[in-house]
Amino acid sequence: MIFRRISWWLSGLIAAVVLSPIAVLCALGLGADLDFGGSLPRILGNTLALAALTMVGAVLLGVPLALVTRYASLPGQRFWVALLCAPLAVPSYLGAFAFFAAFGPGGEMTALTGIATPSVQGLAGATLVMTLYTFPFVLLSTRAALAGLDASVVDAARTLGMSLPMALLRVVLPRARNGIAAGALLVALYTLSDFGTPAIMRLDTFTRVIYVEYNAFGLGQAALLSLQLLGLVALVLLLEARTRTPRERPGRPLSLHLSPAVKVLSLLAAVAIGLAALALPVAVFTLWLLRDGFTGFDPSYLLNSVYASLLAAAGTVLLALPVALAASAGRSGRLFERIAYLGFGLPGIVLGTALVYIGLQLEFLYQTLALLVIAYMIRFLPLAVGAVRAPLARNGRDLSGAARSLGASPLEAFRRVSLPLSLPGIVAGAALVFLEAMRELPATLLLRPTGFETVGTYLWRVYDAGYFGRGAVPGLLLMLVSGLAVMLMIAGEERLAHRSTR
Amino acid sequence: MDRRTLLKSALALGLLGPTRLLAGDAATGDAATARSVEELPALQGKLTVYLGRGEGGLYDTLVTAIRKRNPKLDLQVRRGPSASLANTLVAEHQAGVQRADLFWSIDSSSLGLVADQGMTHPLPETIRARIRDPFQYRHWAAVSGRIRSVPYNPRRVSADQLPDDIMAFADSDLKIGWAPAYGAFQSFVTAMRLLEGEQRTRQWLLGVKPHATSYAGEFGVVMAVERGEVDVGFANHYYTLRLKQGMPDASVQLAFTDDDAGCLVNASGVALLSDNPAAVGFVRYLLTREVQEYLATQAFELPMVRGVAMPAGLPPMNRIDPPEVELTRLADLRPTLALMRETGVL
Repeated sequence: MIFRRISWWLSGLIAAVVLSPIAVLCALGLGADLDFGGSLPRILGNTLALAALTMVGAVLLGVPLALVTRYASLPGQRFWVALLCAPLAVPSYLGAFAFFAAFGPGGEMTALTGIATPSVQGLAGATLVMTLYTFPFVLLSTRAALAGLDASVVDAARTLGMSLPMALLRVVLPRARNGIAAGALLVALYTLSDFGTPAIMRLDTFTRVIYVEYNAFGLGQAALLSLQLLGLVALVLLLEARTRTPRERPGRPLSLHLSPAVKVLSLLAAVAIGLAALALPVAVFTLWLLRDGFTGFDPSYLLNSVYASLLAAAGTVLLALPVALAASAGRSGRLFERIAYLGFGLPGIVLGTALVYIGLQLEFLYQTLALLVIAYMIRFLPLAVGAVRAPLARNGRDLSGAARSLGASPLEAFRRVSLPLSLPGIVAGAALVFLEAMRELPATLLLRPTGFETVGTYLWRVYDAGYFGRGAVPGLLLMLVSGLAVMLMIAGEERLAHRSTR
Repeated sequence: MDRRTLLKSALALGLLGPTRLLAGDAATGDAATARSVEELPALQGKLTVYLGRGEGGLYDTLVTAIRKRNPKLDLQVRRGPSASLANTLVAEHQAGVQRADLFWSIDSSSLGLVADQGMTHPLPETIRARIRDPFQYRHWAAVSGRIRSVPYNPRRVSADQLPDDIMAFADSDLKIGWAPAYGAFQSFVTAMRLLEGEQRTRQWLLGVKPHATSYAGEFGVVMAVERGEVDVGFANHYYTLRLKQGMPDASVQLAFTDDDAGCLVNASGVALLSDNPAAVGFVRYLLTREVQEYLATQAFELPMVRGVAMPAGLPPMNRIDPPEVELTRLADLRPTLALMRETGVL
């Protein structure tokens, strides 16, 4: 019980830390006029449209592929799952940038082949890019939800004369509904807080306008807009809180026999996704690399990035444990968890600015690596909490209760039962945070120690100056390192799925 | 009679030398022209510079060269978007925290914001005297400049088909390339708003929009002009010169409008934020002949120190007649953005 109490207190403390930048925002936004010449409804409309369309796109791609990769036996199963998750390794802004550079008049595609292509931009372009790079969230969450289903139910439906597609639609998917919804809402959160893609695709969403206002010295307006964006995020979080994967008694794993045509079709879809989401940016950056060579990049930037991101990953997971434990214990714990999730909806530039103000009050923290890592932790805590919680919610509480009733001390129950059970989740969560911290840019620019250059800040520098070619090395490196983190994550997911089907 | 008209009539009467904005070298003696790096004492101690927008490798080369020449100087450089560094400096000032000795920024409006907070230390007279008229500000030293220009494709239009009044582009049937999301373009619209008023600027935006194509940046605009996608564009002068450096036969030429926002000269500059002697020394380095020539020949920027030659490829400076706009007033960007949003340009 002592653990639960400590977790509760820690969790409350963490929630307070997450709320502090929001308090700064309120102070900054106080008294600012919100005169946007009547374009506020348009901004809201764009933001909602992008989030909704991306959710739809991600579900349309993610759910069928999850069904196929979970239930049908495909040749090279693991490879296909890895390929489909790999878009997570590409920061969406790099993807958006590659699409932007490749298509349209004067794009690389036209330059290479002479074929005129329409430009990828606006709402359609942003939706395409966001869908490609976020659908793996739906894929993963749906796969996890499908793993727990008992095949006997489907068999029963089939023997009662239901066709296979109907059985999938009426029996399997409703049970995975919450998993799908959880993935889709994560996609929505991502889309709401993503800055790079709308900026490159020139779509006025909240994040883009916040950035534009901030750069026009409209700090108060940027703060007010951020608070409105936070309102949207809070709404999504409320919805997300209602979707919990129901626990089912593990049964016989389901396996489907798909016709070769369906299999080939699915594999073709996977190949097309791989080409668009991975091969295209890699090709664009390789082209630039060949054109401009390895000038200007200092390996210490990569070391700095990895160092800060490792610290962030370790720290965030440490914080995520008490939050996840408290959340599985009671109502107030659940509330703290929801508050911790708010950090995800703070655009980096806003969080960065708020932390500059906080840092200036605690001067020993200002422009230190510690403050930068704290920013990463606030921003990416939800990812770690989500990953850590899944295994805990699945079986942690009953089993540790059983251990206690068998005479284990709380510490022993934690060490020997809860911790090993949540280990795959911890690894996956740490990998996810690492991934995100590596690619984070706006808060890094504001908070890093003076002279501390990362892969991201270097990318910004060359992009800003129009030396796109010099972005090739850091761009490719970022994808490579992120790819390793994604592999770790998938390994965690597989172990988890394996355990729950056993 | 305002100063401009007075100057113009004085010029016509032959009373003054070439007094146009950027040509004012003749009247001043040696004392106020560029010095060589060799004449400067070595810098030492700790120096923190906030560098707003790096222009990629170019400013980095300068920073590296200054580091190399001054081994005893512990130079810390903090790079970031100009506006965000300016916002940071203001927050630091309000909290009574001093970290930066210098603010070196590509964007004069960011310098203006910082100067408005009363954070800057006045520049020594000896430094101001070296800088071209009328860029001798009290609170920051102009380092390099850029002119708004009209790049055009000579295969599609000839120079005499181009209006010399920026406002007239709205009524033309030219296909125009522009980059509304780009900072330099927004400063140009701000200048138009200050010179012509809100209503005329709104009409201009609405007039150009139907025959304009948007690009992400102004280098993109210049490339589109070169490919012939559009007839003309609006861009800083150096993008055209940089393109022509790599592609000498590029089908793009520079035109300039006359005494309006279309040929605004904007400047990058540096403001002193502390009384650290190395900070003043650093400013002196930026204003040496070597650095100024480097900026002119490699980046095609306008050198701001008297006696340093303009970049190749520009018409003689006495043929360019920029408007008079106090550069720091360009910080008043929000009404511009509101206007651009309202007209659906941004």
